[in-house]
Amino acid sequence: MSLLSMNAELSFKQKLLDLNWGLIFMVVLLAGVGFLSLYSAGNGDFSKWALPQFSRFCVGFVGMIIVAMIDIRYWHRLAYLIYIGGFVMLIAVEVMGHVGMGAQRWINLGFIRLQPSELMKIAVIIALARYFHLHDAGDLRRLRLLIPAALIISLPVGLVMLQPDLGTSLMIVMGGAALCFMAGVPGWIFVTGIISAIIAAFPFWHFMHDYQKQRVLTFLNPESDPLGAGYHITQSKIALGSGGFSGKGFLNGTQSHLNFLPEKQTDFIFTLWAEEWGFVGGMALLLLFSLIFIYCVWIAFRCRTRFARLLSIGLMINFALYMLINVAMVMGLIPVVGVPLPLVSYGGTSMLAALGSFGLIMSCHIHRDSKIPKI
Amino acid sequence: MSYRHFMSPSHILRIEGAKRSSLDVARGRVAFVSLMIFLAYLVVAVRVMDVSLIQGEFADYHITDQMLEDVQLKQAEDDGNGVVLNVPRADIVDRNGVLLATSLETASLYADPYLIQNPADVAAALVEAMPDLVYGDVLQRLQRSGRFVWIKRNITPDEQYKILRIGSPGLAFKTEYRRFYPQGDMAAHVVGYTNVDGKGLVGLERSFDNMLGSKSDAPLKTTIDVRLQHVLTRELNKAISDFRGVGGAGVIMDVNTGEVLAASSMPDFDPHDPTSVSDKGAAFNRLSLGVYELGSTFKIFSTAAALEFAGAALDDRFDARKPIQVDRFKISDYHAEDRILSLPEVFMVSSNIGSALMGKMVGTETMERFFADLGLLSALDTELKEVGHPLVPNPWRDINTLTASYGHGIAVSPLQMVSAASSIVNGGVRVQPTFIYNENKRHDDAMNIRVVSPQTAHRMRQLLRLVVTDGTGANADVPGYRVGGKTGTAEKIVGGQYNHKKLISSFVGFFPMNEPRYAIFVMVDEPKGTRESFGYATGGWVAAPAVNRIVTSMAAVMAITPQPHMQEDSLVASLQSYINKDGLHGAVSAILNHGVVHSYEDMEQEAEGAR
Repeated sequence: MSLLSMNAELSFKQKLLDLNWGLIFMVVLLAGVGFLSLYSAGNGDFSKWALPQFSRFCVGFVGMIIVAMIDIRYWHRLAYLIYIGGFVMLIAVEVMGHVGMGAQRWINLGFIRLQPSELMKIAVIIALARYFHLHDAGDLRRLRLLIPAALIISLPVGLVMLQPDLGTSLMIVMGGAALCFMAGVPGWIFVTGIISAIIAAFPFWHFMHDYQKQRVLTFLNPESDPLGAGYHITQSKIALGSGGFSGKGFLNGTQSHLNFLPEKQTDFIFTLWAEEWGFVGGMALLLLFSLIFIYCVWIAFRCRTRFARLLSIGLMINFALYMLINVAMVMGLIPVVGVPLPLVSYGGTSMLAALGSFGLIMSCHIHRDSKIPKI
Repeated sequence: MSYRHFMSPSHILRIEGAKRSSLDVARGRVAFVSLMIFLAYLVVAVRVMDVSLIQGEFADYHITDQMLEDVQLKQAEDDGNGVVLNVPRADIVDRNGVLLATSLETASLYADPYLIQNPADVAAALVEAMPDLVYGDVLQRLQRSGRFVWIKRNITPDEQYKILRIGSPGLAFKTEYRRFYPQGDMAAHVVGYTNVDGKGLVGLERSFDNMLGSKSDAPLKTTIDVRLQHVLTRELNKAISDFRGVGGAGVIMDVNTGEVLAASSMPDFDPHDPTSVSDKGAAFNRLSLGVYELGSTFKIFSTAAALEFAGAALDDRFDARKPIQVDRFKISDYHAEDRILSLPEVFMVSSNIGSALMGKMVGTETMERFFADLGLLSALDTELKEVGHPLVPNPWRDINTLTASYGHGIAVSPLQMVSAASSIVNGGVRVQPTFIYNENKRHDDAMNIRVVSPQTAHRMRQLLRLVVTDGTGANADVPGYRVGGKTGTAEKIVGGQYNHKKLISSFVGFFPMNEPRYAIFVMVDEPKGTRESFGYATGGWVAAPAVNRIVTSMAAVMAITPQPHMQEDSLVASLQSYINKDGLHGAVSAILNHGVVHSYEDMEQEAEGAR
């Protein structure tokens, strides 16, 4: 049974025609914003950041199309395997990190440094989608059936917290919880969960060491960060403000080009973009993101199977969370956590994860009418 | 096809019936979550608007050029002489009144297309007068429908003259002000720069933005002395280029008042056109914003603490024969002497082991408090906003006391270290660096905080002088000026590990040592050894010679008379007997030296016994 023709009804040509070319166009447009910004971040040096990003995008783009063409039932069958694979990689970095004397979050594959924790966010969503495909909302009133779902989320979260990477573990929790909610896990569980988390925080706080408290305080209040994250946010806001309505023009952002802006090629790329293209450019980018979001919600609603619907919307929510947290962060709405702007920021793993997500979403769309066995 | 049986009609029917309601629940929830995300989008979008337009620094200029032009046209009609667009900013001057930054009145050319009959001819004449304009662009502007369009802002008097000769009624000028820095990039990091709309973005231009922009005529007087600034910049640049460093920092400070006479961070930028700098990180102020592990210069603090708080005396001796091993840390000496060293010797040869033992004598609690008193544990309180927060061990364990004693495991800004060292050298009174000249504050002794006793301060002066006469800082000696100081060489942390190829090499010097007045600091980031330095890239080879040249030039500029040769070394004469030199001195010192010998094992055993 060949990979691409598992679905008896769809020929290769039909699938190709059914690809979401509109979505692909928007993804390319978004990545294009990334290349432009990285070209500017490199002070007009294409080879510094834009070229590696572009070549990774090309590889990822082909990967995205292949992922989209593969039958959704195949992905369904692989779901737990992907999850276990990600989990093993996560343990591997944990062990390697200890051996290498220091925090290590990535595996070096030569052309790319893979961060398993980034891939794990997607693996959790795939695994949860498969699990909830088996158990519909009616089943989920039985608490016993919620335990595996809770484990799927909490095991990798625990490992990522050990790294320690509070930001990523919170992202996994948020993405997983959103999926559980959409799958129909009773609402009171979320209400009690949030309330008990708040209550538990107090005694937990009380028993923490002073230096642990300090870390949390630093997380909550970047002004106290020794490296001066507060300074970074100030610079970021100056840069955004100095862009004004129509921006300073391509390659003319003073704040970002003079290195006032830290991490301008990764986490703070939105600032660089908005300084050079102004309010208009920033809004256009947000609009592009929301169009992609609407498109994916539309795909989710058209899917007939629970797996495809949950998978596509789950991946989309994950993508949207990334984007929202990044933009809110650079504008000083929330504390600085190292979250990249998907498809735009410089970085291999997040590019790969985003393109993989869109591949899966398109696979959901192409195979929207396929039946998936309840296993 | 193993899945075919799932597609049987009976199966589909079963799904349809049983799950209708739960499917609706799910759809509702998906819609709910999507809505939530969308609301979050809205919040973010509103914030983008808030930050870029409402809070925006340039909001009134960038709303749209057309809107602005309309407003200006209206103003131009009200006031026949043209409109002052930006108010002039107050000048910034050095301590002797030399201009560092000023606002120049310039003319900006605009056109009223309505009054221009023959745009093509006028455009051609304009391009001839100002060859940097593009004909097509000018022509297009002149043919616009509005009544106001900018042609070129901030033109030269020569250009203005040529335009007046064109004599077209549709061309007119407006007075604008442009920020100008007569000294160019000198003290660029201190003075800072403004953007085209006169808003201070860096340095004093940023810190005193409101004051400078408030039309006040009084110039802002800084403590900078352009003559010394020139000397410092020249010698710092020479040190960086000689040793192929990636950057550096330097400062000349008055140890009694804290006035910064010259301050430099390299690479720097041209304040007129800060975007033109190709070098990454040019805007980064290594002197006050960067924090570094500075290495042995910190021995000034541990030695002073040992003298002040632990009752150490000159004849105390320290066992530097073998490295100290604490858990997985190993403390060893760069220039290993492999013998028992007296206290002056420890400081003179810069023994890490000896200094760590002094740290142990002082104890963790006292050491941490002392560092706090010196202002090393919190960000500098000074007029520049570009100040870095020190990286301090947290929690502070005993091992941190040992490493901090020779300047590792704690990172502070160079300016902070210089201020703390000056606080000891000046007689023991805490001093804060200041960039603003203030005659009243200079004589205000009310805020004096004593950090060490005058006796300890005197000892430290002797020891610092000894480093230059007999120790690692010999290259800084300028005959007649009694230079004292301490070298510092630290490995940078690259990728979480110390890298012995990448150093921070520095020297903090003071002179004249019998009554210190000036602190001079030079630091080079990642110097590489040269043939002339025998391959060394340490503070004694890289930074000490630069301090030497600075003192030499400074003495001439400030007309400081050299001391007679004979009196020069009276400071260190009394220390000579504690120094083990070959020959007679060695024999004498062997007899004289019967102070306590401190070794790590003994101290550990003592502590064990006490428990």
